[in-house]
Amino acid sequence: MKRKRTIFAALVIIFLAIIGFTFSQKSSAKADSRIKIVFWHEMTGPGQVQLNKFVKEFNDSQNKYVVVPQFEGNYNEAVQKILNTHGTSTSPALFQSMDISTSQIYNSGYTTPVQKFIDKEGYDTSKISAVARAFYSKNGTQLSMPFNTSQPVLYYNATLLKKYGITPPPVNPSYSDITRVATELYQKSGKKVKGLSVEIYGWLFEQFLANGGESLANNEDGHSGVPTSVNFSGTVATKTMKWLQENIKSGAFMNFGAGSSASANEMAAFLSGKLGMFLQSSADISQLTAGTKDKLGITYYPHADGQKSNGVSIGGASLWISNDKSSEVQQGAWNFIKFLMNAKNQATWQVATGYLALNKDSQDEPVLKKLYKSQPEAKVPGQQLRRTKPNNTNSGIFMQGLIQERTLTQTAMEQIYNGSNIKNSLVEAQKAMNSYITSDNLANKVNQK
Amino acid sequence: METQAKNPNFNIASKKKKSAELSLGYNPYAKDKLYAVLFLGPSLLILALFVFYPMLRTIYLSFFLTNNLGKPTVFVGLKNYFALFSSNAYINSLIATLVYVIAVSIFTIAIGLVLAQAATKKVAGINFFRTIFSATMGVSVSVAAIFWLFIFNPSVGLLSQLFTALNLTPINWLTEPGWAMTAIVISTVWMNLGFTFLIFFGALQSVPYTLYEAAQIEGVSKSYQFFHITLPMISPTIFFVSIITLIESFKSFGLIDLMTAGGPNNATNLLVYRIYQDAFLNGNYGLASTESVILAVIIALFTFIQFKVLEKRVTY
Repeated sequence: MKRKRTIFAALVIIFLAIIGFTFSQKSSAKADSRIKIVFWHEMTGPGQVQLNKFVKEFNDSQNKYVVVPQFEGNYNEAVQKILNTHGTSTSPALFQSMDISTSQIYNSGYTTPVQKFIDKEGYDTSKISAVARAFYSKNGTQLSMPFNTSQPVLYYNATLLKKYGITPPPVNPSYSDITRVATELYQKSGKKVKGLSVEIYGWLFEQFLANGGESLANNEDGHSGVPTSVNFSGTVATKTMKWLQENIKSGAFMNFGAGSSASANEMAAFLSGKLGMFLQSSADISQLTAGTKDKLGITYYPHADGQKSNGVSIGGASLWISNDKSSEVQQGAWNFIKFLMNAKNQATWQVATGYLALNKDSQDEPVLKKLYKSQPEAKVPGQQLRRTKPNNTNSGIFMQGLIQERTLTQTAMEQIYNGSNIKNSLVEAQKAMNSYITSDNLANKVNQK
Repeated sequence: METQAKNPNFNIASKKKKSAELSLGYNPYAKDKLYAVLFLGPSLLILALFVFYPMLRTIYLSFFLTNNLGKPTVFVGLKNYFALFSSNAYINSLIATLVYVIAVSIFTIAIGLVLAQAATKKVAGINFFRTIFSATMGVSVSVAAIFWLFIFNPSVGLLSQLFTALNLTPINWLTEPGWAMTAIVISTVWMNLGFTFLIFFGALQSVPYTLYEAAQIEGVSKSYQFFHITLPMISPTIFFVSIITLIESFKSFGLIDLMTAGGPNNATNLLVYRIYQDAFLNGNYGLASTESVILAVIIALFTFIQFKVLEKRVTY
């Protein structure tokens, strides 16, 4: 008994010593007289590693500011955290927030538009991708700085297509180009390999509409005013859903469902050669090239037959400066944004993560040139981004409640993939979204503004 | 206070004290009240702060529309409630939740009982099986989800490979509404089994062996013994487990979030998951509060019914 007690006491002492040690370590690290810029981000995996490297380089490069990165979990939850902590001592000076939260963050009135700093310093924004900038601006004012940016693209397994003697899809494919490749692959493989998978993902639904030049929300996708209704059942949407439904029924396309498990399953199937093509974010490139020896092919996002592609918008997140911090802190946050956007860092960012380099000068950086040499297909998403001329239908949807919109369109897609009537499913989702918009606008009193 | 009443000596002592105080002109119960406040105060304070206030706030919010900062802005009375009950999606969620809760409860209890009964047999290596049967208690939800996702994977998963090997068409476990619910029920039952098994196993051990000996002397069959000795003797445990399982399955979240995210076509969008989506994804705190109030009422109702109906069947 006594011995047990001695052991227990010893353990307690060791435990306390460890705690004390860690705390003393922390407090010594905190002894930094520089201005603290708390930076909230939601990057995981290689993105987080590279971001932390950038932070360290920035902190070492000057002695006025110190950026403190803090990981805040997933995009969706981060939005609520940002809004609920504003004005408190824990709130961030600089934060990363996802593409579809743009309107919500802007309407909160909690941020200083980066345009203020652009004007003050005469910062040359023409170097930054126009499509990406357009997504995060309102009436010509840059609200936030686009950061991790991806494009939806079509991936295909070039080795697999070659094995069955199938001509790969063209650079800018139409729906019927894809159907041909998918059907041939499905048939020639003895129905063992599925042709295409389009994950049930609202982002992809939005991109089909963008590429077809069809507005999802009224008031020109919210770019000319607060949207009061949505249109899920237009020509392009119906055409696209019909295309998907028919091919899922024939067996050429595969339905992996919705959510994180769907994209994981899709990726697993592609990497194991059971799936020939799929639509997904360009940010997956590094994972795809690392995961298989097969040659990877990439083309532009498909468009409906008989029409030109309008170009797709972007996905990812942007960087915002909170207005509840002193102007000195805000300046520091802006300096860090500028640091991240320089040509060299943007090139490094693309090589490390697969997100696109937004600075036009990055294309001349040696790191990026080296990547293109070893993986020529990695050029495609950037080319797709640069060829697109931003207009109101391909610059994102400036509307609150886009998370709800995605949930509803995904439900409609689930119904359609399982064989329901296309029009009914789309109209049902549309009705639900319209009533959501009505009460959301009422609650936020946006119409009275 | 209760211990005072039960302890006669203490009572006498306090009475003596009280009479002494009485003569001095004190209120005899003032001190008791002071003690009551002193002892109950801290716990009441904590409860008020973390249980009663949030509860009342939830009810309050359920009558409002909230803006994108989560602040109540427009009073709508019972409109949120009407909106929910007239929405097909919500009614579907209610039905799905009932199906899920009932299926999970029944299978968990039945399989748990069978496993526990089997584990009471004294055969070689039984300790190994006892450990295995209760092992899921040590598995976290996220690990279980990854494990089951691998089994249900449509192209490289264990089940689809098995089906292909047997020349059967593989089932799209997580993308077809009916199968998705089945998959979620299977995973949840598996998760729950460890705990249920352990509780039942403990209960079976406590059934007096003499009863079985008497039954054997009477020459009664094994199944008769099970239904007429074992079941009645462990009925309080079954009652306890059924309530716990029921409430737990009403509240289940992790497996659904990780495996189906409420899909396909809202087939597994259970009440709690819907609340999470509305509150923390859509920022619609008013509607989410309404849903929480409804869920609380439903759970209370079920527990009440269980107490009324099942308690009568509990033998002692």
